[in-house]
Amino acid sequence: MPNQADIALMAHLMRRAGFGASRAELEERCARGYEATVEELLNPGADSGIDEDELYRHFPQFESSLAPVAAQTEWVYRMVNTRWPLKEKIALFWHQLFATGNSKVDNPPEMLAQVAMFRKEGLTNFPNLLVQLAQNPAMIYWLDNNGNHYGSINENWGRELLELFSMGVGHYSEDDIKEASRAFTGWTIGTKPPRQPVGRFYWSFEFRPEDHDYGEKEFLGNTGNFDGSDIIDIIVKQEDTARFLARHLYNFFVADEPQVPAWSITPPNDEAAIDLLVKAYMDSGADIKAILRALFNSDFFKEAQFQHVKSPAELVVSTARLAGNYYQPRTGFPLLAFECAWQGQELMNPPSVESWHTGSEWIDGGALVRRVNFAAKLLSDTSLPGVKAIMAGLKERGTLSPAEFVRSCLDLVGPVEVDDGTFQELLTQAQQGGDISWETEESAAESEKRAGVMLAMIAATREFQFA
Amino acid sequence: MLTTVAAGRVFDYSHCIGMYSTSGIGFLVPMDFALGSNETLYVLNRGVDEITLRISKCTLKHEFIADIGRFGMGDGQFVWPMGIALDSEENIYVTDENTSKVTVMDKDGQFLAKWGDAGSAEGQMRGPSGIAVDGANDLFIVDSQNNRVQKFSKDGRRLATWGSEGSGPGQFNKPWGLCLDAEGNVYVADWKNDRVQKFSGDGRFLAEFGVTSDGVGGLSRPTDVAVDSDGDVYVADWGNHQVQIYEPDGKFIATLVGDAQTPSPWVQDYIDANPDVAKARRRTNMEVEWRFNRPIAVNLDADDRLYVAEAVRHRIQVYSKERDYAEAAINL
Repeated sequence: MPNQADIALMAHLMRRAGFGASRAELEERCARGYEATVEELLNPGADSGIDEDELYRHFPQFESSLAPVAAQTEWVYRMVNTRWPLKEKIALFWHQLFATGNSKVDNPPEMLAQVAMFRKEGLTNFPNLLVQLAQNPAMIYWLDNNGNHYGSINENWGRELLELFSMGVGHYSEDDIKEASRAFTGWTIGTKPPRQPVGRFYWSFEFRPEDHDYGEKEFLGNTGNFDGSDIIDIIVKQEDTARFLARHLYNFFVADEPQVPAWSITPPNDEAAIDLLVKAYMDSGADIKAILRALFNSDFFKEAQFQHVKSPAELVVSTARLAGNYYQPRTGFPLLAFECAWQGQELMNPPSVESWHTGSEWIDGGALVRRVNFAAKLLSDTSLPGVKAIMAGLKERGTLSPAEFVRSCLDLVGPVEVDDGTFQELLTQAQQGGDISWETEESAAESEKRAGVMLAMIAATREFQFA
Repeated sequence: MLTTVAAGRVFDYSHCIGMYSTSGIGFLVPMDFALGSNETLYVLNRGVDEITLRISKCTLKHEFIADIGRFGMGDGQFVWPMGIALDSEENIYVTDENTSKVTVMDKDGQFLAKWGDAGSAEGQMRGPSGIAVDGANDLFIVDSQNNRVQKFSKDGRRLATWGSEGSGPGQFNKPWGLCLDAEGNVYVADWKNDRVQKFSGDGRFLAEFGVTSDGVGGLSRPTDVAVDSDGDVYVADWGNHQVQIYEPDGKFIATLVGDAQTPSPWVQDYIDANPDVAKARRRTNMEVEWRFNRPIAVNLDADDRLYVAEAVRHRIQVYSKERDYAEAAINL
């Protein structure tokens, strides 16, 4: 049996590199080891992680509908059921970084296609990913590169590429934006049949040579007849880019940072950690796997348990996985997608290209009530498979004093670490019923009921909001 | 190409019916359909989640008649409807893969009955999908999650059961659609085994055809099957986005890929009413619109016209089997 610290560390890894894992999975992974699990996560299969034939048999509307909810629901289904947790998690990371919104794109299938690109390319390397992004039709439309013409540039894509997607404010000039924009002229969207009235057709990237500016450009101190790929090559060689990406990775996978707009004036919380990630970036040629390998195996990552407020998608998906009742095609998946939105994260529709503000800004009065109610409702339902597994784990521990009962519930639901105040509150509730016993049918039924209440209370703690 | 000539047969594209629509004229994620009397068409639409699910009743001449049924667990409601069939009185039978029940309605959509218990004992079903009615008004139903076929009387009394999980003769891997030929033989689209199996009416294995492939004669996740009066077999090759046609002995004849070059009247009305849509269609290659996208159900009428429903295109393409076709000179 793995020791408690190993289980806690593995749970931490799976919360961050995926959407959590059951106790049984944690124990299996502990048996294989931490570094081995990191490698498994970093090296998923080439497939999408889902049996797509089964997916589209049971949910044909996912590939047939034009409605936002169908696209959002498909993604949530994949997050819950994927065989490759990091593949789905990195797609969420890139979606939050390269924020593209259906509010303007108004084409959910194209949004889903962009997420599929993040899933497929998300663990390759940053230069490739930026080229894929620059050629992604939803992004082209979102940032107006289809309106960026030879002799009449539109700077939107060029500006956001530098400001929000790679280098960050303060590391380039207005002229660099203009020159970059010239290099991306002619990178546009091919024509396609309109989606109405016989359903979806997909955009494709199209390069139009007659609309491309082949002239000389000066960009970040370099001179040449650059095109978009050349611009990206220059960008990804900058240490500022490495630092900017490192900070995003730290904020998403390690611990909450200040919001992105403050980064030009606020240093990182852990400079040494950012330096380590920057070194991994520069040494590897911006290889995402290499950077994440350094991150997940670092001490700063291992010591950052519960220092990251779960995003709504993380909270909803990880709780559904813990409850274990969404591991198959079933009705109700749209509610998970809606729940993310109600908690403040409407997938594929961030509030702006600046994306969602994260960390403590996920939490406000309304969102917190929704988060607590959602998690408490699922975890208090002792008929659900995941909750039943927690009950079985409790029963294995035999008769429990109130304190042991609270510690066991915290352990089996996470493990979740709580401070003394929270523990005392849980203990006060547990003491009202005395010891937990499973010896008679009656006592077992009562214990199960009390455990359901305790799990709901844990779901309502401050600590449960953190990953 | 609009006309496919192969092995002495001629399959000629005729027209299409349908458009994307959340109610009224048009369909939304058609799963199956049935041809009724007087050129009536019943299209079973999954819709989007809990809205827009319905049976669209219309005619082959594009006249809308009614929307029947909706999402729910109540009488006359469905959760995951999969298959639809009509008896000799044109009563409607619908299978529901989620509730494992069969709902019966009259041709106007009035609820008549609902039967079926979820389970794996004989007579119970788990995830019923394809359904067909024989001349005696008995029902053959693909009991998909139980990997078998069951025969019921029209009031739900079990008459026969055959099949088990596997890939051998008479075994299935999540089968989907089925049909009967004129002799009462049963053809089953063995979905995850990428083949069609043929049985006698009492469940004796007779033949199988199709192999896992996207090449000549191959199948990928076939969802439905139909047999014409000559015994030729048409398979909705869902995974390959085509229809495969086989001789009665299983020899491959031809592939149809979809030919909807002329919009349905409903689609044309929409285009005419939306100038921007008309403009956009004029400045792009429309071939992708002609082609099948998730052909999911196939049926034939009494004149051997083939009807192919597409889940992603929300329409039905129609082909005729020409009997008196004369080839044009090849050196034109």
